[in-house]
Amino acid sequence: MRALDAALAAALEPPALPVGFRARLDAALDALEESRLGTGRRAARAVALEREHRERLAELEAGYLRLRRRTLGTLIGGAFAAGAAVALAMPWLQAVFGPNTPLALAGAGAFAGLVLIGASVGIGRGGIAALRLFR
Amino acid sequence: MQSAAAPATGDGDIHALLQDGAHTQAFARLLERYETKVYRLCCALMRDRTQAQDVAQESLVRIWKALPGYDGRASLSTWIYAITRNRCLTAIGRRRDFAPIEDEHLEAEADAPQEPDDTRALLRGLVDTLPERYRRVLTLFYYDDRSVSEVADMLSMPEGTVKTLLFRARALLAEQLKRRGLFDARAWLGASS
Repeated sequence: MRALDAALAAALEPPALPVGFRARLDAALDALEESRLGTGRRAARAVALEREHRERLAELEAGYLRLRRRTLGTLIGGAFAAGAAVALAMPWLQAVFGPNTPLALAGAGAFAGLVLIGASVGIGRGGIAALRLFR
Repeated sequence: MQSAAAPATGDGDIHALLQDGAHTQAFARLLERYETKVYRLCCALMRDRTQAQDVAQESLVRIWKALPGYDGRASLSTWIYAITRNRCLTAIGRRRDFAPIEDEHLEAEADAPQEPDDTRALLRGLVDTLPERYRRVLTLFYYDDRSVSEVADMLSMPEGTVKTLLFRARALLAEQLKRRGLFDARAWLGASS
């Protein structure tokens, strides 16, 4: 059996690493790292886009709130201005319309209200094109 | 299957590097120590050296990817060989032309007459016709300086099983040589070494 053992040891020589084995391995590892970096870059881009999306939404929300406040302010201001104008013009109105002054004021108010409603409906339907008509 | 007896390894330096998070240096050290062993294990399992080279590369890449997750529960060599064996088995499963060779079939092949010019080639041919588990153990045993513990670790087998398989493999070979009238010619066998 010792002879067989020796013969086997001679026949089954351990294979040496093929030429270029390490170079191929290094290339494969480099490619893996490149791929990982690529994945990292894509992930970073996705995070940046998400952040941008959130910022844009926050801006839109802030703009909407500003618009609502401005509209409310305009309405309140307009109401006060109208009240003040009526108070100032009351003597003249009474001289012109006499006892029909409240009726004339109500009519004028209704007319102004209808004009404003019509204008807002027109802006809503026509959008920016309709706004241009009011410029 | 019983757990394989872990051979004495000096991988403490690699463990230390891994604990420090120096994975690149740890892998470089690991390559120095295991690159050739991984390739030889692949050669023994795959039979085909070109495929063995590819699978060894794949195994080492996989080891590199998995290295940060190595928890030290198994010895480093056991872990490396387990990954390599799995890659080999996957590759063997993928190989279209691979047909599992039954032991009986191999026994029959071993009976087939062969007349190689080279005595070493004859012996290699006979080893190739051994049943797969004998062939793997025998091949790795001679590839790795006749270390039973190393072979046990590589194939995840108890050392006792490796010794038994080695004994049976040699007995089968001796029988084959006797049939050819070669086993008694000790001078012939001795001359081939």
